[in-house]
Amino acid sequence: MARPRSSPPSSATASAEAESSESRFENAALFEFSTVINSSLELPFILSHILLTIMGKILSTRGMVVLAHAKGEFSVEMVKGFPQGLKGKNVKIGAVPRRAFEIAGLDARRHSWVKFFREEGVTLILPLVIAEKTIGVLGFGARATKRKLTPREVTYLRSLANISATAIEKAHTINELQRVNRQLDQKIQDLSTLFETGKEFSALLDPERQVRLLELSLLGRFLPARYLISLRDGADMKIVASKISGQVPQGELLATLGRISVPVRVADIVVSGTVDVREALTGLGITIVVPIMLQGESRGQILLGEKMSREEFSQTDMEFLSSIGNLAIISLENARLFKQAIEKQKLEDELLIAREIQKGLLPSVLPDIPGFRMSAANISSRQVGGDYYDVLALPDGRFIIAIGDVSGKGSPAALLMANLQATIRALVPLHLDLSELTGRVNDLMCENTGGNKFVTFFWGALDPGRKTLTYVNAGHNYPYLLHSDGSFDRLDRGGMILGVMKTAVPYEEGVAQCRGGDTLVLFTDGVSEAMSTTQEEYGEERLERALRGAMSGTAQEILDAVHRDVLVHTQGASQSDDITMMVLKIL
Amino acid sequence: MSEFKIGQREVENVNILELKGYLDAHTAPKLEEAFQSLLRSQRFRIVVNCRDLSYISSAGLGVFMAFIEDVRNAKGDIKLTNMSPKVYNVFDLLGFPLLYEIFKDEQEAVTRFFPKAK
Repeated sequence: MARPRSSPPSSATASAEAESSESRFENAALFEFSTVINSSLELPFILSHILLTIMGKILSTRGMVVLAHAKGEFSVEMVKGFPQGLKGKNVKIGAVPRRAFEIAGLDARRHSWVKFFREEGVTLILPLVIAEKTIGVLGFGARATKRKLTPREVTYLRSLANISATAIEKAHTINELQRVNRQLDQKIQDLSTLFETGKEFSALLDPERQVRLLELSLLGRFLPARYLISLRDGADMKIVASKISGQVPQGELLATLGRISVPVRVADIVVSGTVDVREALTGLGITIVVPIMLQGESRGQILLGEKMSREEFSQTDMEFLSSIGNLAIISLENARLFKQAIEKQKLEDELLIAREIQKGLLPSVLPDIPGFRMSAANISSRQVGGDYYDVLALPDGRFIIAIGDVSGKGSPAALLMANLQATIRALVPLHLDLSELTGRVNDLMCENTGGNKFVTFFWGALDPGRKTLTYVNAGHNYPYLLHSDGSFDRLDRGGMILGVMKTAVPYEEGVAQCRGGDTLVLFTDGVSEAMSTTQEEYGEERLERALRGAMSGTAQEILDAVHRDVLVHTQGASQSDDITMMVLKIL
Repeated sequence: MSEFKIGQREVENVNILELKGYLDAHTAPKLEEAFQSLLRSQRFRIVVNCRDLSYISSAGLGVFMAFIEDVRNAKGDIKLTNMSPKVYNVFDLLGFPLLYEIFKDEQEAVTRFFPKAK
């Protein structure tokens, strides 16, 4: 820029001319200054240009900008020539005169802030005022020329200050607008994340993928250096995802975390109890703890370490974490319930099949045995035990009576039972004696079960003419032969339960001689071990009492009486085993 | 509604992933798979070209975070390029420019992997 050549003020005209040329120059400089500082919204650039321009104008080597950031609170925003350490220093400034002035004239006793400037070597103060409001103060060191400012210079500096104030204010406003805009963007991003992950959470039924989605969302949203997600698994807390320094928290520490019910910064945790949670978490690099709540109960935690951006966790962050955690747990819970429902349905279906198999195997009609009256019943428990009974007529006029209890429940038990029935029916026509047959049945069962299932089994060949029952008891509950005087025999001869190991010792045969008025009672442990609501077994003593009390009745009446007595005992408690009984009354 | 595709190329031994469409909670696993398969075959120089990426959510951003450490431990990097202003805004909002190199142009990012070559 060309400097106007000043001619010596030889006359009044020349002096007026020089003045107008200087004023033209000042106007041009003001215009350029204004153009430059308004061309940017970057505060550092604007402030730097302001300082340099004025320092050049007044020929000072030092300048500083002090800006207001709250009511009456100012801080040093930029320094040139002054010690850099001043930057960021807070200065309390009360009422500032609105024009430029030299600080020497001010009374430090009336204006305490003057002391600060004076101590730092500021001699000239230039307030930045907009609409009667002081938004800052420019301060400058002594002029190199030591000359006092002329009124004209003061006016010029005021113009520069006014233009500066407007530019600073504009940059402030726009920066603030951008900040608010960004905050808004962040909120929108958070909401859309919650909306979208919520939708996806509920679409996923696989807990592992749900946890992974939660993990990814947290990683992307917070960029945490360290994190850990734990979820309640039954009574314990289980860590489902983590990146931490050191060993994962266990036992007491996890349990203590489970008692935190509001989001909290680790630094704010009040330590009580034996474990210093604050120290432990800090050691792991964790900064905040956000509980995952379901129906007012802590179901897990999200623990995050410092963000890689070094930003603090805001209230909004904590709220976002609570929301996403709670969304996740609802979906996880739904997935769990859904899986449970499916499994239950599968189990029910399987039990239905088992029940069908079992019913199909039990004789639908009992044959008439001359001189005997027989009743039999199988009451399936909910789980379907593997109870079995059968009556077969032999060509020689005898009858095979059998009762058995297969270990296990449901379909596997029902299938083994079918296997047993088929084996018996195939072997019986061989006309072997019962001991031999039992040995063979056992060997076949052993081959079929592989030794991990077994059957308690009792069977006998009933000769109606002689009223004798030749029997083998393979580990089954001893049947009763009740006599009319109330005494009884237990049919206990036989050997090992079926299916455990191949027959080494032959099964022993027993023979029971029946008389008119006697009652033969066969039953499974579903009767003797029927549980009351207080976990008390029905027991053989009660069974014997019930039998004695009912023995004058018909076979069906005896059976009904025992069943009723069992029901009175169990009081509706759910039974885990079938209840099976056969009653033969000898006429 | 959300369509997301990943294209794969190789330029000067650098693996380019081209993202197209919506990278959100639903589609994030696709990107996870892509990174996993690169890592499995020991390819750690990765440039993600976002030219056709129309949306990215926190879960999508999380995928980058989930792999960056492994990639850098293997002396590689994930660099991002060609973002639309809208997509860049999200990256910027969540502080990604602090941790990732983001370039206007794919070639710039590729060249960055070979500081002495050019």
